[in-house]
Amino acid sequence: MSMSGLLRTSFTRTALRRGLATEAGQVAPRLKTFKIYRWSPDKPTEKPRLQEFQVDLNKCGPMVLDALLKIKDEQDGTLTLRRSCREGICGSCAMNIGGRNTLACLCKIDPDTSKESKIYPLPHMYVIKDLVPDLTQFYKQYKSVQPYLQRSSVPEDGKEILQSVEDRKKLDGLYECILCACCSTSCPSYWWNQEQYLGPAVLMQAYRWLIDSRDQASKMRKEMLQNSMSLYRCHTIMNCTKTCPKGLNPGFAIQEIKKSMALE
Amino acid sequence: MLKSSLNLMVRNGVRTPLARSRNVQMSAMRCLSLKPNFEKLKLTPPPPGGVEGNVNDPLKKPEIDFFHGSYHWDYERITAVALLPLTTIPIYLAISGSGLHPMLDTALCCTLLIHAQLGLTSCIVDYIPKRRFGVWHQVAMLSLYAGTALGLYGVYELETKNNGLVDLVCKLWKDEEEELTIYSRF
Amino acid sequence: MAKRLSGLQRDVLQMYRLCVREAHKKPLASRPNFLRYIRTEFVKYRDIPRKDFSTIEHLLRVGHRRLETFASPEVKDIH
Repeated sequence: MSMSGLLRTSFTRTALRRGLATEAGQVAPRLKTFKIYRWSPDKPTEKPRLQEFQVDLNKCGPMVLDALLKIKDEQDGTLTLRRSCREGICGSCAMNIGGRNTLACLCKIDPDTSKESKIYPLPHMYVIKDLVPDLTQFYKQYKSVQPYLQRSSVPEDGKEILQSVEDRKKLDGLYECILCACCSTSCPSYWWNQEQYLGPAVLMQAYRWLIDSRDQASKMRKEMLQNSMSLYRCHTIMNCTKTCPKGLNPGFAIQEIKKSMALE
Repeated sequence: MLKSSLNLMVRNGVRTPLARSRNVQMSAMRCLSLKPNFEKLKLTPPPPGGVEGNVNDPLKKPEIDFFHGSYHWDYERITAVALLPLTTIPIYLAISGSGLHPMLDTALCCTLLIHAQLGLTSCIVDYIPKRRFGVWHQVAMLSLYAGTALGLYGVYELETKNNGLVDLVCKLWKDEEEELTIYSRF
Repeated sequence: MAKRLSGLQRDVLQMYRLCVREAHKKPLASRPNFLRYIRTEFVKYRDIPRKDFSTIEHLLRVGHRRLETFASPEVKDIH
C-alpha cells in the first residue's frame, strides 16, 4: 500500500517536472490549420462548408485523430466523428485526409505548418453529419456474402475442424481486414455502382471465405458472384490496394476470385 | 378524359416504395390510352441513402448469369490474347513485303470487332446501368449491337471487294508518300 | 385548372399523403398524436425556397427513413 503510494507520488513529481520543463522552454507555438468538412442535418438549408481550426502541434499528439479530438474538446464540441480504439484496429475513424482515405488514428499530422490539412468524410457516401458517413449499404453488402463458416458435415470425432499450416497461411493478409470502408469508397467503380457492385472490402472477405479449407459452400459462394454487377465491375484500378491503411491487397484478392471463376 | 389521364400521370409520377405496387395495378387497368407513356424514359433516382428497402432487409440477390459473369470476362481475355499473334504476324508480313492470307486478315478484323464489342459492353454496364437508366440501357446496348453488325458488314465488304484491313492500313503509308511535299528538298 | 406542380412538389405531397395514410393504420386513441407530429414536421420546413432542390431531396430521404420506422406495427403511439 505504502509502496504504491510512494510510486504514485514519485510519478506525479516527474510528470510535474516534465510539464514545467516544457513550459520553461517556451517553444513558439506551431499552429497548424485544419480545414474540416462541416454539415449538420439539423440545419438542412445550410450548405456543407469547410471550417478552419488552428491547433498547436506542440500541445497535441502526433496523429490526426489527436488533433480532431483536441478540436472537439477545446474549440467546437459539435464536431462529429466516429472513433473508438485510436490504434487502427476498430476501423471507425476512416475519413478522407489530404485527399487520401485513411484511418485518422493511423495518419500522422504533416509537421509542415505552412500547409493546411483538409479533412473530408469518406468520398461518395451519404453523409449523416460532419465526418460521419452512412455505411448501411456497405454493411448490408458484407452480410450478403455470408461471412461465416458453412459446412454440410461435421468432423467425426465431434471436435474442431482441423486445418494445415499451409491452408492457414492462405488466410494471412485477408483476415486482418477491419472493414473500415477506406478501399471501397476509394474505388471509382464503387462510386458509380454502389447499389450493386460489392466493392473491394466485401469482395476480399468473399475471397477469404472462398479459400478457407474448412468451408464447403464455395460453389454457392462463386455462383452468387456470377453476374455482371457484383464482382465484374472491378477493372483492376487498384485504388483499393493503394489506400488500404492496413497495407492489405484487396485488388489481388479480387483478381484471384476472377481467376478461380474463369475455369468454371 | 384529359383530366383523368393527367390524374393518372400525377399518380404515376411519384415513385415511392410503398406506393409502387398500387401504381402497377392502376396502369394495368388503363392499358388503352392514346397518350404515350413517357414514364419509361425517365431515370430512376437512387433510393434514399442508396439502400433499397429497410435497413435490416437483406440485399436483393442478383440473378445468376454466367454469360454476363465469368464467360464475359473469359471472352474478353481470350480475344485480347488472340489479338497478340493476329497483330504481330501481319506487321511482320507487311514489313517483309510478302502477301497476307485473306483468312488471317478476316480473323484479325473479327477478333478486333468482338474485342471492341465486349469492351464497350463493359463500359455501358458501368456508366449506363439498367438500375438507373432503364430503357436507355437497352437503347445503348441495341445501338452497340447495331454498330457491331454494321462493322461485320464492313469487314465482309473489305475482304471481298477490297484487299483487306492490313492492306488498307499499309496504304496510309504507301500511297501518300508520292504526293508528300518534303520541305527540305526545296 | 390548378397550377401545375413540379415533380418535387408532387413528391412532397405524395410523402404527406403516405404519412397520413400510415397514421390512419394506427390505433384510434393515438391517431391525433401521429397527425399532429406529421403536421409539425412538415410545417417546420415550410419556408424552404422552392428551388432548394438538394435540401428538399435530403428531407424527403430522411422522411422516408422515418416513415419506415414509424410505419412498423410495433409503434403504437408518438409524442
